[in-house]
Amino acid sequence: MSQQNRLGTGGRIDRSRPLRFTFNGVDYQGFAGDTLASALLANGVDVVNRSFKYSRPRGIVAAGAEEPNAIVQLGASEAAQVPNVRATQQALYGGLVAASTNGWPNVDRDLMGVIGSVGGKFMPPGFYYKTFMAPASLWPKYEKYIRKAAGLGRVPKEADPDIYDHINRHCDVLVIGAGPAGLAAALAAARSGARVILCDEQEEMGGSLLDSRELVDGRPASAWAAAVLAELATLPEVLVLPRTTANGYHDHNFVTLHERRTEHLADLAPSLNGRRQVRARMHRVRAGEVILATGTHERPLVFSNNDVPGNLVAGAVSTYIRRYAVVPGRRLVLSTANDHAYRAALDWHDAGREVVAIVDAREHPEGDLVNEARARNIRIIPGSAVIEAQGKKRVSAVQVARIDIGGFKVAGRVETLACDTIATSGGYSPVVHLAAHTGARPEWRDDILGFVPGKVPGMTPVGGVHGKGALIEALADGAAAGTAAAQRTGFTAPAVELPKVAKVREGKAAALYQVPHVKPAMRAPKQFVDPQNDVTAAGIELATREGFESIEHVKRYTGMGFGTDQGKLGNINGMAIAARCLKQTIPQTGTTVFRPNYTPVTFGAIAGRNCREFFDPRRFTALHAWHVEHGAKFEEVGQWMRPWYFPRGNESMHEAVQRECRAVRESVGILDASTLGKIEIQGKDAREFLNRLYTNAWTKLDVGKCRYGLMCKDDGMVMDDGVTACIAENHFHMTTTTGGAAAVLDWMELWHQTEWPELEVYFNSVTDHWAAMAINGPNARKLLAELTDDIDLSGENFKFMDWRAGTVAGVPARVYRISFTGELSFEINVQANHALHVWQALFDKGEKYGLTPYGTETMHVLRAEKGFIIVGQETDGSMTPEDLGMQWCVGYKKPFSWIGRRALTRPDTKREDRKQLVGLKPLDPQLVLDEGAQIVLEKEIRIPMPMVGHVTSSYFSPTLGHAFALAVVKGGSQRMGQTVYLPMADGRVHAAEVVSPVFYDAEGARQHV
Amino acid sequence: MSDYAQMELNPRGAVKSESPLAMTRARVAQAASPQEARVLICEKAFLGHLVLRGNADDEAFRAGVERALGLALPLEMGPLSLDEARGISIQWMSPDEWLLIVPAGQEFAAEAALRGQLTGHYAVMNVSGGQTLLELSGPCVRELLMKCTPYDVHPRHFPVGKGVTSVFAKSSAVIRRVGEARWELVIRRSFADYLYSWILDAAEEFGVFVASGEAARSAARDAARELATEAR
Repeated sequence: MSQQNRLGTGGRIDRSRPLRFTFNGVDYQGFAGDTLASALLANGVDVVNRSFKYSRPRGIVAAGAEEPNAIVQLGASEAAQVPNVRATQQALYGGLVAASTNGWPNVDRDLMGVIGSVGGKFMPPGFYYKTFMAPASLWPKYEKYIRKAAGLGRVPKEADPDIYDHINRHCDVLVIGAGPAGLAAALAAARSGARVILCDEQEEMGGSLLDSRELVDGRPASAWAAAVLAELATLPEVLVLPRTTANGYHDHNFVTLHERRTEHLADLAPSLNGRRQVRARMHRVRAGEVILATGTHERPLVFSNNDVPGNLVAGAVSTYIRRYAVVPGRRLVLSTANDHAYRAALDWHDAGREVVAIVDAREHPEGDLVNEARARNIRIIPGSAVIEAQGKKRVSAVQVARIDIGGFKVAGRVETLACDTIATSGGYSPVVHLAAHTGARPEWRDDILGFVPGKVPGMTPVGGVHGKGALIEALADGAAAGTAAAQRTGFTAPAVELPKVAKVREGKAAALYQVPHVKPAMRAPKQFVDPQNDVTAAGIELATREGFESIEHVKRYTGMGFGTDQGKLGNINGMAIAARCLKQTIPQTGTTVFRPNYTPVTFGAIAGRNCREFFDPRRFTALHAWHVEHGAKFEEVGQWMRPWYFPRGNESMHEAVQRECRAVRESVGILDASTLGKIEIQGKDAREFLNRLYTNAWTKLDVGKCRYGLMCKDDGMVMDDGVTACIAENHFHMTTTTGGAAAVLDWMELWHQTEWPELEVYFNSVTDHWAAMAINGPNARKLLAELTDDIDLSGENFKFMDWRAGTVAGVPARVYRISFTGELSFEINVQANHALHVWQALFDKGEKYGLTPYGTETMHVLRAEKGFIIVGQETDGSMTPEDLGMQWCVGYKKPFSWIGRRALTRPDTKREDRKQLVGLKPLDPQLVLDEGAQIVLEKEIRIPMPMVGHVTSSYFSPTLGHAFALAVVKGGSQRMGQTVYLPMADGRVHAAEVVSPVFYDAEGARQHV
Repeated sequence: MSDYAQMELNPRGAVKSESPLAMTRARVAQAASPQEARVLICEKAFLGHLVLRGNADDEAFRAGVERALGLALPLEMGPLSLDEARGISIQWMSPDEWLLIVPAGQEFAAEAALRGQLTGHYAVMNVSGGQTLLELSGPCVRELLMKCTPYDVHPRHFPVGKGVTSVFAKSSAVIRRVGEARWELVIRRSFADYLYSWILDAAEEFGVFVASGEAARSAARDAARELATEAR
């Protein structure tokens, strides 16, 4: 297909590099340097989408981020699908495949369009709320069809093969936007030696300099941009990021920049030198100073049928002609309220095509550009505006009329002019979005008819966003701000010589937003404000009539600004219309709040590399590889990966756990206990610190001895437990729960630093330093004896709750005779680097005893048989030591108070009907109760009925030969022998007897051998 | 009975020791040749790591440390006290905490030397099994670090000799700059697999070479044995 709208010369495209692409199944050709939008316009593609609600044909309106219509689905393969890409911001590459996001069966023959044109009048704002509100239960059904009809692109069904990442950056000055003001600012700041980042969302840096009619230093403006960029490239502390959108501006000048590194090359990231390339990168920038040079978005005029393809904002017409050498039509009518938009007519004229007329809302247009148009004998119709466009899939004519802006009415006869393109300009809205992200409310300026950014500490707006849109002013504004920002961050910035630019005289702009029609707005053909969401001027008027006075309510009622474009094109017009209807000023009406992201960001870029194996850190013990090799199934405990059980052959979990349990009770098993938190405590007051930290007493613990300790929060509730050993008089080794290790160390530091700094004690985590291997079972001593010759393992000399230093398998070790199973048990601790050697040696010697590795599940069964609690399983932050039946572990007589003591003497913590730890024996011995099951006292179920507790742990015990459970029950210690009931969701009611929580070896004979 | 129990934790005989990265190294392939790699990673395994706590305002404490180690105690964040010839460094970690790294197997001797010189309120804790040290070098290390930590690693902010503890990926690391393009990370054993895998993944685009191999590791281990034996 020919590029019928492409000029033979000019533009910044490379005609030597033609590129094929496909849009809605049709092949086209464009050139390197095109955007998808410019290439579509070059090929005369008028209809690029169907509208959201009315399904009206829509064409390209703008040339940048504000484009509401040309929203496409991109990607040649399923995995490469990206929804809602703005064709105006998508670089063309060979083989690009795109389709309209809306339109069924296709954009040219759209079924929904029939409904839209018939039903349009009956679809006012709130239509969906009003029509589908009853019955509410059917909304999900309605929604399914409404959403399908609305159609806003689709997510890929296959996983994204590309990689993304994040990078942290710090700079003195961040300049957002590389137009004239941004480039001048970056240059001024960079010459000082400051660390400068310059980013711009476009394919090519230069902004308006790339399509300007003005000369800079006597040369095309783009040449000056190229020279500045060339200089910046030589400065080592400057980072220039094209294709990079500042998508979020957060507190303290923290700005995220979304860089698209390969999306201009292909739909999936090509590899580079055989290595995967990052597709998109999020730069997390902490900037000393931010210079906001985001420019302006041109406001279109709001008039009837202003959405018919062929309607563009005036600046986009200039951009397409001068930057892409594309004239998007043959016969142009320009409707404007300012001088600057005259560029579009002049550029059109330069391109050799017909300018039918310039319709100017002002009575006496006066300025250099106006005079140039006059000199070319272009017809100027003053005091008038285009009030209505004609045509279906392309503009065929306009109706022009004299208007009375103040009276909001048509003030003369209507003239029809034949044309195929309408360019309009209602003025220039500063791009305040980023500044608004910080919470700064935009401020209205009457002199420029626009909102400018509110004040943000450390941020300077320059150029168009600062109300200094004229090239000569933008350059000066940028350079001064760049110098000042560098100086504020401690650098000496030499003044930048400003290039020579002629001053362009411009007349005062008129404040025109909605153009009056001969009919009232409610009856005139639709006047679109937000084309992406099909919000019309009449809709806003209706909303204000229905009582929506706050602009935030108007926004939500009409849907204005809710599209993927966030209403960049239409919001200010909408506010102006609301202001007119409410008979107030625009600043009184105010703006809606802009939030991140400025333009949509893919989830890949947000996730970066924090996905798959890196989604969350996994912590491993020194023995992990052995566990993997031996078929362990793992469970996550905190971030630790702990062996859960070690199935043999085709064993089920139940079978494996039963076998592991029997091995421990009958011979010997081994557990990797390395994940337990370990804290080394040194200092002459270590003992006293333990006295205050734990509920029990530590004064009399001898060197060589261990003691179990309970830790409460200041509310008296159990927060952690573990065994602490006295290593030397002023030297202790504490163990904590696996999950509680970090919190306990923090807790200790907090109390030491804030309450008891006079205590001479230091703590440090040694969790990772020591590997811990617990051998449990009647044969544990025999096994250990084969590997140590310097520890006396006899029951008399190495008692339960003693520890000894010695050598195990040739490795120096501390051996603790502590037990979480109730069996004879030794926990061997060695420096972690040597752990695998010791573990292997235990298995070498352990074969004859049937040494069996066991995991956390077996550990849970064995300890529950003994009634040993697990903090976090039997406790939930509301259990006191007494509730757990552990009053033996509370030292009320300690001379100095301890954490939780006061709370434990409150009446509430002394209540006898508190939930207390008990054992449950199901009446059906095979029945393993559900953990978490609620407990009631009566068999007959009525609702409501008092619930008295719940099951905390529940297992089948091969040792006991029946199922058993631990539970917390109100007044449980007084209910021994009673039957309680557990109603299940399926209607069954289980029964269980309340028994002691110690099911096995209550006298402790087995661990004291 | 002494107030503190110091213990030699390294074995005397032939024991196969494993650094925290033993499992990970076996899994991860080298991605680039040393010539094309712009990031080189080398684990310095089996070094002696000690945490020293004490009062920096106490002159006797400072003097004792200097007598014991022959290095001054740094009193603020960076620069490290570093004696590369002897392989000893002291890093300020917090107002009353320092990280002391000594050659493999010398942790017992270093602790003994400190205990011999220090009196009063202090603590020395051996954490050698709990962490390992990675050396990163090459022209792209700084950029790699920027993908890992929010801390500013620009030379103006992070001169040679500086060391900090900061967020690293979703864990943390001690980050030290020991040369113009030479950095060290001290990472915890249990997070080592996660951090090392993260670093290799992050460095893929630069080309990364893992400068280690079994030979280098056993050499370090043998050295550790010799030193440990000498220390006795």
